[in-house]
Amino acid sequence: MLRRTFRAMGTEIELFVEADEADAELDAAEHEFHRLEALLSRFRPESELSRLNRAGSLEVSADTARAIELALTARANTGGVFDPTVHDAVAAAGYDRSFELVPADTAARTGTAPCGGRVRVDGLRVEVEPGFHLDLGGIGKGYAAECAAEALAPAGPCLVNAGGDIAVRGGEWRIGVEESVTLAVSAGGVATSGRDRRRWRRGGVELHHLIDPATGAPAETDLLRATAVAEDATQAEVAAKWLFLLGEEEAANRGVPCVLVRPDGSIRLAGGLA
Amino acid sequence: MGSGLGRWYASAAALLLFFVAWAAVAARPWAQPATDPRLAQLDVRATALRREGVLVQTIVRQRWATYRVRLATRKHEIAVAQARQRRLAAAAAAPPPVAAAGAASVRVVTLPPLTITRTS
Repeated sequence: MLRRTFRAMGTEIELFVEADEADAELDAAEHEFHRLEALLSRFRPESELSRLNRAGSLEVSADTARAIELALTARANTGGVFDPTVHDAVAAAGYDRSFELVPADTAARTGTAPCGGRVRVDGLRVEVEPGFHLDLGGIGKGYAAECAAEALAPAGPCLVNAGGDIAVRGGEWRIGVEESVTLAVSAGGVATSGRDRRRWRRGGVELHHLIDPATGAPAETDLLRATAVAEDATQAEVAAKWLFLLGEEEAANRGVPCVLVRPDGSIRLAGGLA
Repeated sequence: MGSGLGRWYASAAALLLFFVAWAAVAARPWAQPATDPRLAQLDVRATALRREGVLVQTIVRQRWATYRVRLATRKHEIAVAQARQRRLAAAAAAPPPVAAAGAASVRVVTLPPLTITRTS
């Protein structure tokens, strides 16, 4: 088995492939991350996403259009719980630069911003309602993991882990969720959303990166984090956030294989996991 | 005869002048008019009441402003909570937004993990 690690999209990326020789595929998979980061990052001024956010309307690449369409589909399917127009709310909460550069604790007070802006995708032309901006952080790494897995799969069964958003193609891969819970996954995607990482303090208030579009502020839920298994990594990302925002009782009864972690660290398996 | 009448007029004029002067001095025009102490107390009380009135109005205005801010904040919180509740209720009632992985593609094992998933 071959393994490669590198940094991209503000996180550690791991590539695994069951093969004796796969340099070309590993290179291609790594390239996918760098290529998509250059398109989808909201922190790179020259990314397509940043240019779209500045212009409000732009003809974008097929990948950017596809990622936006996936995010809009997720918004429709979750009743707005997942929303790519949380950009301004995330920034208002303090996450306005690459996370490594976000101050951990300052006295500055934060605000909220409205979500739910209209977005129209017509072929490659994307138009965003004035006053709103897109953030594909909730789906970008999952999308990149899927693209990288496609590039890696010709070499053999593989797993791509983009900082917790995982795409699997063949084989059976053991994925640790908690110290006491390991999932063996042979297909699809796994992702985790929670308020245990990517958090900071402003004015004495603990904040995190998962915005509840209904409030435009970091979500309040009775879960610490939720891990979901779905058909692919992008859907797993959407599902993980959706389950996290629903809260334990609702999340446990939605039929999605998931591991729910309470604030005290206790665990609940649901959706057919046992 | 003429001189006796003249002295009489002079005496009368002098007498009149004397009484006029006496009355003018008795009136003490240089002295401050005497004020009623009760009126003075009323003036002091009125001034104090006016000052207290201004103070009370200031306090009432401040409290009213605070109340209006708190009311607006509370209304916003209630609206946000209601919106969130509506959205979560709608989300909970909707079918799962994702296609779940097949039951055969995932299972819980006790072996050590190869990699981990965490909040991304």
